[in-house]
Amino acid sequence: MSHLESMLLELKDTSEIMVDLAYSSLLYDNTEIAEEVVTLSGNLDELANHIQDEAISLGQANPADVARVVVISRLQASIMDIAGAAEHIADVVLRGLAEHPVLAMSIRDADTTICLAKVAPDSVLAGKTFGEISLSTRCGMFVIAIRRDKDYIFGPGRNNRMEAGDILIARGPEEGEGYFKDLADGTEKEL
Amino acid sequence: MSDDENDVSGLNHVDMSVRELLTEMKDTSEVITDLAYASLMYNSQPMADKVRGLEKDMDDLKYSIRYKVLMSCRTREDARQLSGLLEVASAADRISDAASEIVGLLNLPAERRPFISEMLSESGEKIRILRVKPQSDMIGNTIKKLAVEASTGCKIIALRNRHGWTYDPDDEQKIHAADDLIVRGTDEGADRLSQFTEGQEKWVFPDPIDEEDAEEDADDEESIEQELRGDEEE
Repeated sequence: MSHLESMLLELKDTSEIMVDLAYSSLLYDNTEIAEEVVTLSGNLDELANHIQDEAISLGQANPADVARVVVISRLQASIMDIAGAAEHIADVVLRGLAEHPVLAMSIRDADTTICLAKVAPDSVLAGKTFGEISLSTRCGMFVIAIRRDKDYIFGPGRNNRMEAGDILIARGPEEGEGYFKDLADGTEKEL
Repeated sequence: MSDDENDVSGLNHVDMSVRELLTEMKDTSEVITDLAYASLMYNSQPMADKVRGLEKDMDDLKYSIRYKVLMSCRTREDARQLSGLLEVASAADRISDAASEIVGLLNLPAERRPFISEMLSESGEKIRILRVKPQSDMIGNTIKKLAVEASTGCKIIALRNRHGWTYDPDDEQKIHAADDLIVRGTDEGADRLSQFTEGQEKWVFPDPIDEEDAEEDADDEESIEQELRGDEEE
């Protein structure tokens, strides 16, 4: 994959996490998660500018690639629209307008929820790879992304390691959430 | 259209409650994005048509929820809270508009976008096709009974059986031998699901829903819906 394409992929993955986080900020009426959506949106603007610059240079250098550049710009615009919609949802939470119980109920009616958990230094997960500890078979939660400092790792694989301080973003049934969070914050030591 | 003769909205979804409408909009906003990317990956015009169909549905859902919410609003506090709810509904609609724009890329010649499939195959959550083998014990069960998404984190976004393709299949859809499933999920989840479709592992059926919890939930819902309808005593 070219650098340009991997940037576009990051843009797409980020927009999807933003939507997931935005809906879950509604579920918990949680301003912290909503803030994260806004932060990600700022990162995306920057990334979108890089993509645009690189796409322009590509088109200038190789006229044959101009058609490809058009496809990239159009896809980028749609991805940014999706990210923008996620930001609007987060904004509802930040304005304190997400109190209506029907909001949380409608989100909960979906088959799975998104949940976040921070890995504590004394958690059994800290230092382990996903291959060593299969969270999905243990609690039904599938980690879709890891936030480490300011960076995101999308779709972590078997060899990715969980570290203390990581924020795990997982998709799964509501029943799996409690055990998953306890494992991450170190209250549950039994695997 | 609504059976209610007093209904003047001319909308298709006004029989649904606000809660149902919003759930439907949220779910649609998710599956429509998955289907849009999948249509690019597999170069599928019928899948793109489904996306456009869902987008039209979404417009009707959006007007239906506005109609219901405006009918139920009585106080300043209602107005304040429901303004947030309507903004969420609009955002879901905006996502479906973007998905519809994405499938518009299919109208460009395929040679201009060879990189898209490759790029999408590297996504965080991936789209994959799995075939249900004759020895799989998923066969004969509905997606709902299997609780596929809750068990594997994978959502079935399309299904092909002897009748052809169904996009965004209903929960009551039964799985048959030799069905092809297009799923969206993590690698781990799709690997797990493929153990079941291959018949290498026995499906673990989820426990039936706790009735007390379900009842409590239903009570909550009822009181809120009454509130929304403005039925409560004053």
